[in-house]
Amino acid sequence: MTNVIEARELRKRFKARGATVEAVRGVSFTVPQGEIFGFLGPNGAGKTTTLRMLTTLLTIDEGEARVAGLDVASAAAKVRQQIGYVSQLGGADNLATGRENLMLQGRLYGRERADVAARVEELLDLLDLASFAERQVKTYSGGQKRRLDVALGIVHEPQVLFLDEPTTGLDPQNRANLWQHVRTLRDRGVTVFLTTHYLEEADALCDRVTIIDDGTIVAEGSPRELKRDIVGDAVVLRVGDEDGTRARVETLLADAPFVRSTTQAEDGELHCYVDDGPAALPELLRRFDAAQITLRAISLSEPTLDDVFLAKTGRSLRDREAGAAA
Amino acid sequence: MKLVRDTRLLAWRRSLQLLRNPVWLFVSLTVPLLYLALFTPLLKDVPVAPGVGGNVLDEFLPGILALLAFTSGANAGFSTLFELQAGVIERFRVTPASRLALLLGPLVSGMASMFIFDLVLLVVGVLFGFHVHVPGLLVLAVLLALFYLTMAAFSTAVALLTKEITGFAAIVNGINLPLMLLAGVLLPISLGPGWMGVLAHFNPLYYLVTAARTLALDTFSDGALWQAFAVLTPLCVVSLAWATRVYRRAVA
Repeated sequence: MTNVIEARELRKRFKARGATVEAVRGVSFTVPQGEIFGFLGPNGAGKTTTLRMLTTLLTIDEGEARVAGLDVASAAAKVRQQIGYVSQLGGADNLATGRENLMLQGRLYGRERADVAARVEELLDLLDLASFAERQVKTYSGGQKRRLDVALGIVHEPQVLFLDEPTTGLDPQNRANLWQHVRTLRDRGVTVFLTTHYLEEADALCDRVTIIDDGTIVAEGSPRELKRDIVGDAVVLRVGDEDGTRARVETLLADAPFVRSTTQAEDGELHCYVDDGPAALPELLRRFDAAQITLRAISLSEPTLDDVFLAKTGRSLRDREAGAAA
Repeated sequence: MKLVRDTRLLAWRRSLQLLRNPVWLFVSLTVPLLYLALFTPLLKDVPVAPGVGGNVLDEFLPGILALLAFTSGANAGFSTLFELQAGVIERFRVTPASRLALLLGPLVSGMASMFIFDLVLLVVGVLFGFHVHVPGLLVLAVLLALFYLTMAAFSTAVALLTKEITGFAAIVNGINLPLMLLAGVLLPISLGPGWMGVLAHFNPLYYLVTAARTLALDTFSDGALWQAFAVLTPLCVVSLAWATRVYRRAVA
């Protein structure tokens, strides 16, 4: 399988009010053909900056990037022919109809009118745009506009599609709908590179995820691998406070060799990370029984990508999300 | 040729948008028409052009045409700003479309609407006694186009660099008034003291206005005409080259 995107030691600095900020600090990764590859991280982590370097919108300060086998810095014009890009803003003309937007976009890629017209029909069908294609974009709902944005990004049948925060602002139903469309594109052989700060999106949609924080990559793998290798399974315990039970539980957990780590969540629950949950759970119960400790509740829970982020950075993505929303 | 093809596509797109939002047409026409209606009467007894007889509009209307080229050029950046913030420009920048075409498309469209306004103003002018000299007006059209492109490219580049309305408006408004006052659009600079005449020679709009006046009278031998071409042609080239460069470089 060939790599459609190869990034090596990418760096980007910005000068703002006299100070130099290094937004991307030596980022390397590869994306094989036909994969949905996700860049997960909080706002300001360097996701969009990396994406803009790969799409020829920003110059690369240091390092090297190849997209579709072409060097992004020296063959920008050829790279543009091979990639599609949908920014956070979308950028469709509000006063033009969906069809007019698509026609113009196709023609800007040098295609002839009849050729583009046929492709537009195909896209209207593929992304469920046909019923409102003759209406001006300003009348579209959020989900309709987003699907048009994606159609604009693939009108020239690119090898790689870059999506910057594709579902930000969409309701859950439209988000799931867009995910399905992105999967369809992947199944047709398009490589998809997307950025997101939604844990669920990275988990549900991406074949492989790279977690980026403060301009550097902190973890990379399939959502499943990341959760298993970095955090393992989580055993969640609720214990009472009477007679120093909590302290005895913590000692017991610390002494158990198969427990990787234990953290206390805000609600007082203990999250104890183990390699193999189904094997660890009965063993823990045996030990609690032998020590005559009564638990209020114990359960085995699937780790989330947030656990991964927490383990790697010491911070929670969810807190930031809530903080940004407030 | 790719440049011509892309420019045509993008110019047509912009024109279509203008036609779908016709309110601006009336707004843009109001200002020059107000000048004609509410300023020309004041000039009735002012000796605006010593030695030249005829209608006061012969003096004043060319200045209004120059002013229209100036203001529509200077305001070109507003739609650039709007499209920058809506992500339209970024969407075009990732296509292989010619960078010069990205700049020229809207400019060609804006120039076409400017010429339509010019025609309207001429028709209104004729109704009030303006004398039409076709050859002179055709040469004037070339100068107006040069000046419009210079200003519009400059304005677009400033919009791309400032990226937001306050900075952009400050720069554009900051140069608007001094350039306009020092060009003799409303009254000839020659009415003022000598230092104003000296300053005016650093103002490209002054050359356009002066040349416009001589051309409206169908005078081709006047030195003002050649001076205007000598000043405005290189300026236009520099402005277009700079704006294309700005387009090509990163627009964060």
